[in-house]
Amino acid sequence: MDNQGHGHGQNPSMGIVGNGPQLPYGSNPYQASHITGSPGMVVASPGTIQSTGQPAATQLGQHQLAYQQQQQQLQQRLQAFWANQYQEIKKVTDFKNHSLPLARIKKIMKADEDVRMISAEAPVIFARACEMFILELTLRSWNHTEENKRRTLQKNDIAAAITRTDIFDFLVDIVPREDLKDEVLASMPRGTVPVTGPAEALPYCYIPPQHAQQVGAAGVMMGNKPVMDPYAQQSHPYNMAPQMWPQLLPPPPPEQQQSSPDQ
Amino acid sequence: METGGFHGYRKLPNTTAGLKLSVSDMNMRQQVASSDHSAATGEENECTVREQDRFMPIANVIRIMRKILPPHAKISDDAKETIQECVSEYISFITGEANERCQREQRKTITAEDVLWAMSKLGFDDYIEPLTMYLHRYRELEGDRTSMRGEPLGKRTVEYATLGVATAFVPPPYHHHNGYFGAAMPMGTYVREAPPNTASSHHHHHHHHHHARGISNAHEPNARSI
Repeated sequence: MDNQGHGHGQNPSMGIVGNGPQLPYGSNPYQASHITGSPGMVVASPGTIQSTGQPAATQLGQHQLAYQQQQQQLQQRLQAFWANQYQEIKKVTDFKNHSLPLARIKKIMKADEDVRMISAEAPVIFARACEMFILELTLRSWNHTEENKRRTLQKNDIAAAITRTDIFDFLVDIVPREDLKDEVLASMPRGTVPVTGPAEALPYCYIPPQHAQQVGAAGVMMGNKPVMDPYAQQSHPYNMAPQMWPQLLPPPPPEQQQSSPDQ
Repeated sequence: METGGFHGYRKLPNTTAGLKLSVSDMNMRQQVASSDHSAATGEENECTVREQDRFMPIANVIRIMRKILPPHAKISDDAKETIQECVSEYISFITGEANERCQREQRKTITAEDVLWAMSKLGFDDYIEPLTMYLHRYRELEGDRTSMRGEPLGKRTVEYATLGVATAFVPPPYHHHNGYFGAAMPMGTYVREAPPNTASSHHHHHHHHHHARGISNAHEPNARSI
């Protein structure tokens, strides 16, 4: 499993696009992706352009348009998804058959030795939250599957969804770097340039009415960054643990069984 | 994989300590950003069980995924496993934040409100409104249960870690969870622990989920989708 954490705490803004930063293609896009989806979009743009060496505005325009349509479709699906979630929950009457077993949820929560007692309601809320999480992640992943004109959702689709979504930053360690690489490489042969869509729109001063919503969404994502920054700067959310353990609990027992390797 | 999963259920008590150590080790490795692998003896069977306990059942995960995917969509095996890992990571991520808040306020019990607060703090804003309503409806329909004393369970877990082996529980097959919590009943601290019972009931109906959205291919635990 890729254990690389978040190395940068930078807060890039959309203005970076105007500067056209000269960044090496090899590694920076991945590191940027690990920080947040938005910088990934921005950083990947010049890298991709340099790599292709094709400044053809027409070709980029077509790819950009296709990407924007895909993104608009995703936004519409997400809006419908959340509205549907709210409506579904309004009608919920059965709280005994959860989508996910409460005992398993509690066990995973308790895996953190700092966790003491758990109210009966917490696993119930988590069961529903995890269902929503799976649905959102699957929906965003499937969007990438469709971009590549496939019908099989693959691991690299999940990797793409994770790199493009701020709130999924904590998952970057789960997908290996190879899948992140696939995400970038896959975009070039297809010529879809998916990651560069929103960024490309700005230099060309081409913002369709519906795209304005996306820009608004980006603003919301920007608003979320201050919340995420503390973790990004510390390179990994779980770095908080060392600060807690010395104060509250002795270090975990030295005997540790090796866990199964993660893909 | 179903059989493996079911087997994991029966071995649940014996893997508690192992699970804790395993996940702690994983967390430590993530924190120090190193690839240190502590060599520890462990049966392959026990390893399999721990693996099962670390993730949500894959059949449940696949069923949920299919609810949002078009009928013709296929899901690769590595994608299924990746989603499993993501869900566990999500639970640990939110729980860590919620627990931190509890400790700051010198409380011992993580409540549903703590979970919702943590989600909001970590950017999952879209989740708050539907989950808040879900919680309210739960309280209306299931009665107000705001606490569950897990201290005895915690102590027992510590015993497992210390002794390195758990021999106190011999759960009967096919009714593991009932036996487990039944054993706890005499302690008088789990009388109001309804959700675990529902979890047990849930396992009974593991192969007969009745979701309002009837989607075919709901059960493909071992079939390759490529």
